[in-house]
Amino acid sequence: MANTNKYKFLLTVLLFISSTVAIAELELRISKTSDDGIPIYLANIPGGANGIIEADLKRSGRFTVVNRSKINNLPPYGSVLNGGAYSNIADYIVRGKPLNGGLEVELTSTSDNAKTIYKISSNSNSRRVAHQAADKIYEKITREKGAFDTRLAYVTVTNKTSDNRLFRLYVSDSDGHRPKAILTSRLPVMSPAWSPNAQQLAYVSFEENTSAIYVQNIFTGQKRKISARDGINGAPAWSPDGNRLAMSLSINGSPDIYVANVNNGRLTRVTTSSAIDTEPAWSGTNSIIFTSNRGGSPQLYRISAAGGTAQRLTFDGKYNSAADIANKKLAFVRGNRGAFNIAIRSVNNSGADTLSNGQLDESPTLSPNGAMVAYTTLKNGDNTLAVVSDNAKSRQFLTSPVGDVREPAWSPYLNQ
Amino acid sequence: MRKTTIRTTFTVLMSAIALTACSSQSVKETIGSGGDIKKPVVSSKTNNGATNGTLNPDGSSKVSTSEQNGSNFNYLPGSNNDPNNTQDITLAGLNDPNNLLSQRVIYFDYNRSSIRPEYMVLINTHSKLLAKYPNLKMRLEGHADERGSREYNVALSEARSQSVKNIMVAQGPRSDQLKTIGFGEEVPVVSGHSPSAWQKNRRVEIKYDDY
Repeated sequence: MANTNKYKFLLTVLLFISSTVAIAELELRISKTSDDGIPIYLANIPGGANGIIEADLKRSGRFTVVNRSKINNLPPYGSVLNGGAYSNIADYIVRGKPLNGGLEVELTSTSDNAKTIYKISSNSNSRRVAHQAADKIYEKITREKGAFDTRLAYVTVTNKTSDNRLFRLYVSDSDGHRPKAILTSRLPVMSPAWSPNAQQLAYVSFEENTSAIYVQNIFTGQKRKISARDGINGAPAWSPDGNRLAMSLSINGSPDIYVANVNNGRLTRVTTSSAIDTEPAWSGTNSIIFTSNRGGSPQLYRISAAGGTAQRLTFDGKYNSAADIANKKLAFVRGNRGAFNIAIRSVNNSGADTLSNGQLDESPTLSPNGAMVAYTTLKNGDNTLAVVSDNAKSRQFLTSPVGDVREPAWSPYLNQ
Repeated sequence: MRKTTIRTTFTVLMSAIALTACSSQSVKETIGSGGDIKKPVVSSKTNNGATNGTLNPDGSSKVSTSEQNGSNFNYLPGSNNDPNNTQDITLAGLNDPNNLLSQRVIYFDYNRSSIRPEYMVLINTHSKLLAKYPNLKMRLEGHADERGSREYNVALSEARSQSVKNIMVAQGPRSDQLKTIGFGEEVPVVSGHSPSAWQKNRRVEIKYDDY
């Protein structure tokens, strides 16, 4: 079964054939968008790329897409556009056309009529072309790299409480489109983590009736076992250089943080407490932030990747855990008064903002530019994915028609 | 593997049935530490004198042995100081619903891995069975409820199964007869997001290879 899916996935990648595996096609539902973001008008682009660009820009929480009816005399792309004529309606206007299977997109600033043209080359996944255009527009306006042309990994489970339960590990575009199952198992699959080159996933699988950490190439399906030691093999996290995996192991009693060299397997012990130490996240190449209950309740701590003394980072709330770090931002789970929510802060400053409002939110994962956080939340009794902007002004839900969707992991930037 | 899963599911199911079926026997309304939810406390005593374990929605639980006639389980390990008296602790007892050995689930408090006192008899009984049959192997599968982060829950559920193992190995079996595993919140027995659903999912399941 796993082989079949691998094979299908390979076919899809190599031969550009749309896969028949579409069980977990996620449906995008926009819950709220920013109404005080940068006003931008998106003209229709034949083929519909403007719709993908619109959803991307909205998801960032930094833009307010101007209603199409506000402008009815816009010159078509190719004709001269005087941006100044629309400066009271939008700060920016986007026009474009398909070009050789790719896209040509023009961004006009209405304040000074400055125009920038982007040519996006074709891609086997046509939606990626639109995401790349959205990234260009986003970067030009915000001066921060766009992260729409990225991927999500996530886990689904069907028949959650029966012996027929089935876990699947999926990879999709960052907006939930084009999902592909890369692993199917009757036993739990959890904690997917992207390698920095966005080509491999580390994850925990109980497929051999005990926990083990595997690394799998998402394109070839090639998979190898990294750790299957006695006790817990959990919470893998790649170092920024891609040579090491931090993980939680209980070979010496209580769970501690270890770092394994991916190339030669050498293991370094980082923490030595008798408490639970788990959920490591790299903060730069030499520092790890992790969850520990050494103080009586789960809290975040920072320690050198070489070991030493850990420094406590969180003090508000009885439960702070599951750190994820990107672009100097730290997202984590904060439990307070029985509710679990997603919080965000600067890695180096205390004082966190709460980004979610569910009852049992978990598994936060930052987009590589730190502008958005995907997480798991309950909706109508099932786990589903949500994406919130770091300013909490935009929220989108990615729901599955079947079963539970959980544990999103946002990929790094893709190397084309 | 499949068989034991069904059996433990059955045990939980029986506990749930006992909860509802016995509601006319001795139900008290109490306010738990949460303060907001009414939790009936049920003590179960079946008419045929069977040994039964029940799970109360407030998280407390009871492993009770009836004094009534008709019980074919008359050994009380917790009150018997003769370590050689293991006559009722047999492999056959594993499949006898009237034997304490047929009970295979231990429940826990939220975010805790310590053993509630009421489970000591149950744990000791299984431990004595292991000691009596050195070739017998056991898996202690720990689980957590859905609250909190997933990998932390793996660690918590592993700690729960270790707590059970630590008590057991003190009673004589070799430690290589017992294997622990933490499944975290990944394998719930019941869905739902209520305190009673959470309680049923915070557990260690005792599973014997081949039984």
